[in-house]
Amino acid sequence: MEIRTARDRAPSALESGRQERVPRVLPFFVRKIYRSKDFREGFADMLPACVGLVPFGLVCGVGAVAAGASIWGALGMSAIIFSGAAQIIAAQLLAAGAPIAVIILTCVVAGLRFLMYSAAIAPYLRPLPPRWQRALAFLLTDQAFAAAIRRFDAGANPRAGGLHFLGAGFALWLCWQITNVVGYFAGNLVPASWSMEFAVPLCFIALIAPHFKSAPQVGAGVLAGVAVVALDGLPMRLNLIAAGVVGILAGTAIDLAQARWTRR
Amino acid sequence: MDPTLKLWLVIFVVGALNFLSRLSFIAFFARRSIPPMLALALRYVPVAMLTALIVPMVLPGPPTVVPDLPTPKILATLVAGVVAWLTHSSLKTLTAGMVALWALQALYAAIG
Repeated sequence: MEIRTARDRAPSALESGRQERVPRVLPFFVRKIYRSKDFREGFADMLPACVGLVPFGLVCGVGAVAAGASIWGALGMSAIIFSGAAQIIAAQLLAAGAPIAVIILTCVVAGLRFLMYSAAIAPYLRPLPPRWQRALAFLLTDQAFAAAIRRFDAGANPRAGGLHFLGAGFALWLCWQITNVVGYFAGNLVPASWSMEFAVPLCFIALIAPHFKSAPQVGAGVLAGVAVVALDGLPMRLNLIAAGVVGILAGTAIDLAQARWTRR
Repeated sequence: MDPTLKLWLVIFVVGALNFLSRLSFIAFFARRSIPPMLALALRYVPVAMLTALIVPMVLPGPPTVVPDLPTPKILATLVAGVVAWLTHSSLKTLTAGMVALWALQALYAAIG
């Protein structure tokens, strides 16, 4: 009798087999997120991007060693700063003995691109609760931004898109921590002849190449590249931030000139 | 300054400022749109800042010294740039760039 009643009852969502694999110790909302299809899809969607980030993460770990960081310092950089460009700059400038104000300023100018991502994704995240907005903002990176915009544009509702974004961001964050730690301990085992450090400029090239379509963008890139070489004599690697500002101003000026020209 | 203190100051200040940049328009300025001039300038941040980072990583030695021959890294960067521009794929860019670099290094070693 008892067996019959158990089988006749329609299985509720809480009794699905998948729940068994979720550790009981996790808080309820974590289990709920973990079971969500969108979260899992977001996680899986980012796995190819994670493979591409492996060499970059390893180089960042090696950079933390060069900057004289302990393993906790290296983890602090990867977990809290969570931005490859800022970590590379910080490691280079720390190793070069630059003053703290220069390090922070250069990292923050490189991080200004997050303002742009934030503005672009804000309309999609507006319906979500503040707690979600803060979590997703923390996980906003170049790759997660591109994936989330694609998902929202494909018509995902705020909740489903948010869960997908959370899965994607979490996959990238986890991959970043693992590769940074492996790089910290084992990065120096990779033979120098493999030129692994070359993966960093390659990752940046992949990020900026899609922008090289308009005159202002090409002008911004060319002038920043020329300026960083021309200003190499500046102390404390100030040429990085100076060249960045030159490029931004050049792009803006060309854009404004172009707009005025076409208006006539 | 104590190096450990300096490192952790950089971690927390840069971490906090990066987080605020990421959160800016999602939370604080959620009700207003981005000023047009700022939007225009921000459009050029990734290309300008990342190019300024890429160039010294690719040029050999002190960047003021112009090499008389294009080095494997410079040529591999150009290959990667073309692949990135055509495919928009980071994995293909990474693969093409690394394979080009290794092939060119082997070639340069062979011809001395």
